[in-house]
Amino acid sequence: MSVDASISCQEVVELLSAYLDGELDPTTLERVEAHLAGCDGCTMVLEEFRETIRLSGGLTVEQVDETQRRTLLEAFRDWRAGS
Amino acid sequence: MMLVDELGPSMRRVARMYVSSDAVTDEVVQEAWLGVVKGLDGFEGRASLRTWIFRILVNTAKTRGQRESRSVPFAALAGDDLDQPTFDPTAFGAPGDPNAGAWSTLPFDWRGMPEERAEGTETLHVIGGAIAMLPPMQAEVIRLRDVLGWSSDEVCNALDLTETNQRVLLHRARTKVRGALEEHFRSVSEA
Ligand SMILES: [Zn+2]
Repeated sequence: MSVDASISCQEVVELLSAYLDGELDPTTLERVEAHLAGCDGCTMVLEEFRETIRLSGGLTVEQVDETQRRTLLEAFRDWRAGS
Repeated sequence: MMLVDELGPSMRRVARMYVSSDAVTDEVVQEAWLGVVKGLDGFEGRASLRTWIFRILVNTAKTRGQRESRSVPFAALAGDDLDQPTFDPTAFGAPGDPNAGAWSTLPFDWRGMPEERAEGTETLHVIGGAIAMLPPMQAEVIRLRDVLGWSSDEVCNALDLTETNQRVLLHRARTKVRGALEEHFRSVSEA
């Protein structure tokens, strides 16, 4: 893999949100893009971030609240079962 | 009133971060709406209406929390792991290795999931469940940004966060939701 040595995969993955939201300064943006162009792993994670955001947008707030309520109920049930 | 329905659940959760009980939360939310109604004439439309409503709410909740002598450390809301790497460090070459910082173990590739699987109810439950497990401020940031589609400016203003904090919270939240999806798709593809 020919990867721009000035920035590592571990650093790139921490910048992907800011990258997707267009919040990187021009110098960092250039380094991230150069890295992505040569790195399949980081490109995969970038695309999965994009998909994660898209899928989250399909959720309604009611669904989030309902899931949260169910998670709490389950936790409560486990707690009672365990005591 | 549509706005009340739309903002209500988020407002209750945000207020709850700062005060001691559900009962006080209800009072804070009511007080905030009262402030909104009173202040509506002075609203200049520089911020979006929903952002402005949240500012009133957060100020009301913080004041009430102080009166209760309840000081909530930022870490309790934001999570205490903000200075830790979001991705598992063991997935990368260790410092000092020739491949330091490069992938040593790639995450499971779930990009090619068939659409009906990727977009099914189960997936939505995985996302909802992952959000429910987040520290409260991370959960609220990702709800407002990615579920409701607010801009980062709006969220910073609404929740009284610096740009940097908002970005860090959102990135952690997204990373955990992505991780939950990875786990989920890995397990269904092995089944
Ligand atoms: Zn990389």
